[in-house]
Amino acid sequence: MSFALDGVGLIHANGFVALKGVTLKAEKGEHIALIGPSGAGKTSLLSLLGTALQATAGSVTVLNFAPFLQSTGTIKSLRARIGTVHQSPPIPGRQRVVTAILAGKLGQWPAWKSLASLIYPLDIPGAQAALERVDLAEKLFARCDQLSGGQLQRVGIARVLYQQPELILADEPVSALDPTLALATIRLLIADAAARNATLVTSLHAVDLALGNFSRIVGVKAGNIAFDLPAGEVTVPLLHDLYASEGEELPVQAHEPNFLAQANTRNACR
Amino acid sequence: MSLTPVSDADPAARRRLIGALATLAILWPLFQAAEVKPGALFDTGNLKVIGNFLAGFLPPETGSEFLGYLAKAILETLAIATAGMTLAFVIALPLAYLASGAAREKPTLNPFTRSLLTILRGIPELVWALIFVRVFGLGPAAGVLALGLTYGGMLAKVYAEILESVDAAPANALRHSGASRSLAILYGLIPQAAKELTSYSIYRWECAIRASVVMGFVGAGGLGQLMDQAMKMLNGGEAASILLAFMLLVFAADGISGWLRRALDTQPAPKPSPFGARSVFVASTLLFAIGASFGLLDISFAALFTAEAAHSISEFIAGFFPPDLSADWLGKVAQGIWETLAISIVGTLLAALAGLLLALPKWRPPFNFLLNSLRSVPELVWATITALAVGLGPFAGALALALHTSGVLGRLYAEALANAPATPGRALQLSGASGGLAFLYGTLPGAAPQLIAYTLYRWEMNIRMAAILGFVGAGGLGQLLYFELSLFHHAQASTVIIAMLLLSIAVDQSSAWLRQRMR
Repeated sequence: MSFALDGVGLIHANGFVALKGVTLKAEKGEHIALIGPSGAGKTSLLSLLGTALQATAGSVTVLNFAPFLQSTGTIKSLRARIGTVHQSPPIPGRQRVVTAILAGKLGQWPAWKSLASLIYPLDIPGAQAALERVDLAEKLFARCDQLSGGQLQRVGIARVLYQQPELILADEPVSALDPTLALATIRLLIADAAARNATLVTSLHAVDLALGNFSRIVGVKAGNIAFDLPAGEVTVPLLHDLYASEGEELPVQAHEPNFLAQANTRNACR
Repeated sequence: MSLTPVSDADPAARRRLIGALATLAILWPLFQAAEVKPGALFDTGNLKVIGNFLAGFLPPETGSEFLGYLAKAILETLAIATAGMTLAFVIALPLAYLASGAAREKPTLNPFTRSLLTILRGIPELVWALIFVRVFGLGPAAGVLALGLTYGGMLAKVYAEILESVDAAPANALRHSGASRSLAILYGLIPQAAKELTSYSIYRWECAIRASVVMGFVGAGGLGQLMDQAMKMLNGGEAASILLAFMLLVFAADGISGWLRRALDTQPAPKPSPFGARSVFVASTLLFAIGASFGLLDISFAALFTAEAAHSISEFIAGFFPPDLSADWLGKVAQGIWETLAISIVGTLLAALAGLLLALPKWRPPFNFLLNSLRSVPELVWATITALAVGLGPFAGALALALHTSGVLGRLYAEALANAPATPGRALQLSGASGGLAFLYGTLPGAAPQLIAYTLYRWEMNIRMAAILGFVGAGGLGQLLYFELSLFHHAQASTVIIAMLLLSIAVDQSSAWLRQRMR
């Protein structure tokens, strides 16, 4: 088992109820897309899995640990096995790309190696390989504030590829990329997870990207799980219901409505 | 897709290595010149002296006779600062008007006034005080005059620059409709600049209190004189009481200055006259304070301007010319400059390290208190104590600079770190990094430019300070000047003063250049 949430609730310090009674389980190696309107609780759900927040109700188990019941040392080694791709990459502008990528293994390296890497990067080939996979090989020694928003987002993804975590959490990982690059990057994350039998949980704004690439779709609405289905069983009415608060149009990546047509035919066949 | 070859070596490594070696090559002789010998801190002889002295700190002296002296010295210090600031203001107004290019039809800068300002503020106030003590005798008059001249120069320069930096269009429009330059400034520029002008003046008053505290070390009255006596007699109890008084004074000045500057943000009342009860209160307090200060100090300015005084002044000044420019003496002065630079660099580096360490802990209150205490004691006072701990010489000066500056830098660093973006470090902790590494990889790179800017700015101030620490035996140009003046070698002293002036101008120019480069 990769993670299990059982009746989990989350109330933020300001009193906002982000999640209520969420139950969700995933086996190792599953690829899950979280979809739903903004403010539904997708980011909160990812923060719980990433041990960034502590649930205010229910039980959370991640990689067979219940975080926050552990000693700090155990939490650290647990966190080293979880990699997060953030929506806006949390990388200092003055840092070089190579250092930003190597920082992915700070939780795994001995302290001396991390300290020495500030003076001379100790795993240049490793960083280079991760960067090549996001098509940015030539930026290895560039400074991060010289990159565009999309390039920086790919550096953030390269950091997680380099970290090689058992659980990859991605919060809108392709929001700053154009449709072609977004599709390629999502496929890259899935391929990486599949190759290492890691679990991947991605929140996505674009419904077509989610349905076209992920085997399991979880719809989140107003702090609840609205549906949890294989991609093939997600119907257009379900989606319209999920996004009811955002109007008639479904948020999509490409402006080709054929995925809806496909979904309709799948429904018709059934 | 990419044609660039896979690089397996860091292209920046060579540059970094050369940079590190160059830094070492520059720092090594500097540490030598500053006579850094940490062993001296643990030398048994020194430990005994400083140990006995510090042991005497408890309990602080509270005898009624001493407290009487202390109260009088505090009042005198406040009076020197206030009278000095008044004099500075009187000097600064016409000089700023003459020096500023503001509201001039042709933006010509007045070279004569500008160089006069450079000389006034380029020579440290303590040097002025040392000279005036020789002309007018021991007592607060020398301190007031010294503060007045140096701060007059500083105020004038900054006033002139503030007036130049605000939007010139309103003043130009007034001039084109026939207003005189002074009225164009009053109606067109002052309304825009008033807040900044007032705020800077208040800040300078706070600095003047700190400065007048140390005036006594050259015999110009106030708390410093009392401290000097206590230190010379190694009376720990008295020194402790005086130090506490220092801290209270500086904290109070901090608080009042902060309150006044916040008060500048309040909106004026919708009345014909914008001045309300508070303005009347502040103005009458100010007038009373100025009057009381001059009354307390009892300076007879008439006596300063008699024919007799003029004669002795001119004779004294004549002794400074021509300066001793023999190769022999110039070599000694050059060595003094080098030692001064060394003290400032070693002191600032140590302060940066200590300040960073004190800025890191998350739970601030005890560390903020420590930082505030460190910076409330002026460098010169620290130098009298460090000279006991490691013996006379430049190392004592570097340590004194380090102690005071670590208080200042620690506070600035803590602010900069608190304002640095938190998400990068937080994200690294969530992927298992320890707090320390998350700080080094995530938080520090974001805050570094700010930290470096603060450090350079303090270094600039420390060069000036290092030049006068020698007055209490802590090496550098100051020690040279103090000796020569004590021996009435005025021609030699003159060379040292010129060296201080040149050093100050060089620092000014290079920091202006550096700021422009970093922009």
